[in-house]
Amino acid sequence: MVHFKLEAWSAMASGLGSEEDWSAWFSAPSIPDEPIGKEALKQIPAMLRRRFKQSGKCALGAALPILKEGEMIPSIFSSRHGDIEQTLALLEGIGRDEPMSPTGFSLAVHNAISGLFSIVRKDMSEVTTIAASKGLIFQSLFEAIGQLQVSKRVLCVIYDIPLPQPYSISTESDPFPFALAMILNGAAGDPYNLQPCEQSLTDQTSLTGDLNTEALRFIELLTGKTSSMTSSLSGGNWRLVQG
Amino acid sequence: MSKLHQELKEMIIEVLDLEDVDVEEIIDDEPLFVEGLGLDSIDALEIGLALQKRYGIKLKSDSEDTPKHFSSINALVALVESHSTN
Repeated sequence: MVHFKLEAWSAMASGLGSEEDWSAWFSAPSIPDEPIGKEALKQIPAMLRRRFKQSGKCALGAALPILKEGEMIPSIFSSRHGDIEQTLALLEGIGRDEPMSPTGFSLAVHNAISGLFSIVRKDMSEVTTIAASKGLIFQSLFEAIGQLQVSKRVLCVIYDIPLPQPYSISTESDPFPFALAMILNGAAGDPYNLQPCEQSLTDQTSLTGDLNTEALRFIELLTGKTSSMTSSLSGGNWRLVQG
Repeated sequence: MSKLHQELKEMIIEVLDLEDVDVEEIIDDEPLFVEGLGLDSIDALEIGLALQKRYGIKLKSDSEDTPKHFSSINALVALVESHSTN
């Protein structure tokens, strides 16, 4: 069993920002129909803001509220599919034999958002980026817990957008753009633990169908609507419990 | 403002996603990079690509003249005009 403490968290999706927003949303979960607006990043200078697409806007919108201006903190940025719309646009351009946009290329790499983030905050602390096909939230927690052995606090930002066509027919993805940011702290915060479990456990959740994802179940747990959840990673099943 | 000045400013706004910038805010003889408009090195590559696509101008990134051509809108206008008369 491994323990960790959660100092702060924040999650962002279209129309959803505060803990109260999410709490209300879990009473009647549905897919937000508006795209993420400009208002999300008003505090970022316009010349940098133009580089943030949907997933970047979510990631920053979630992370900035839990960070003090100027504080230095190591970070982990996790996303299963990354900025897949950028990648697809580049591939379509190659298919048409067009020269590749340097900006598009620089923003399509998996550590693009974390790079922009470090420029915005002028924070040169170490950054780790993760992509996991299964159990992204738990994989990120394991990485963060590992980093707590050498750092007092670690920022963990998890974000994804729905897969566009033609990828969406091949595998599942999150139902709408979202990001979740949290600070894990070695000493202080709400206690959680992770333990191996049997595969047969079913989570208590208000989420059904496409909305029943690991990330949304985790945010549901953070809002206190549930007290435990399970996730299946390659090679094992784990249960996250509050307390 | 000549038609070409207007055209190049619109091109820069479009290819660099400068959604908050108006054509009038880009001053003909002010620097485009760092101070002035505040563009960066990725923007320079993007402008280079746009010049190639729209005007058929190929710039060498290691040429000493390239930074001069990118110094202001006036310099870019001169570059496009000299290319079209050649």
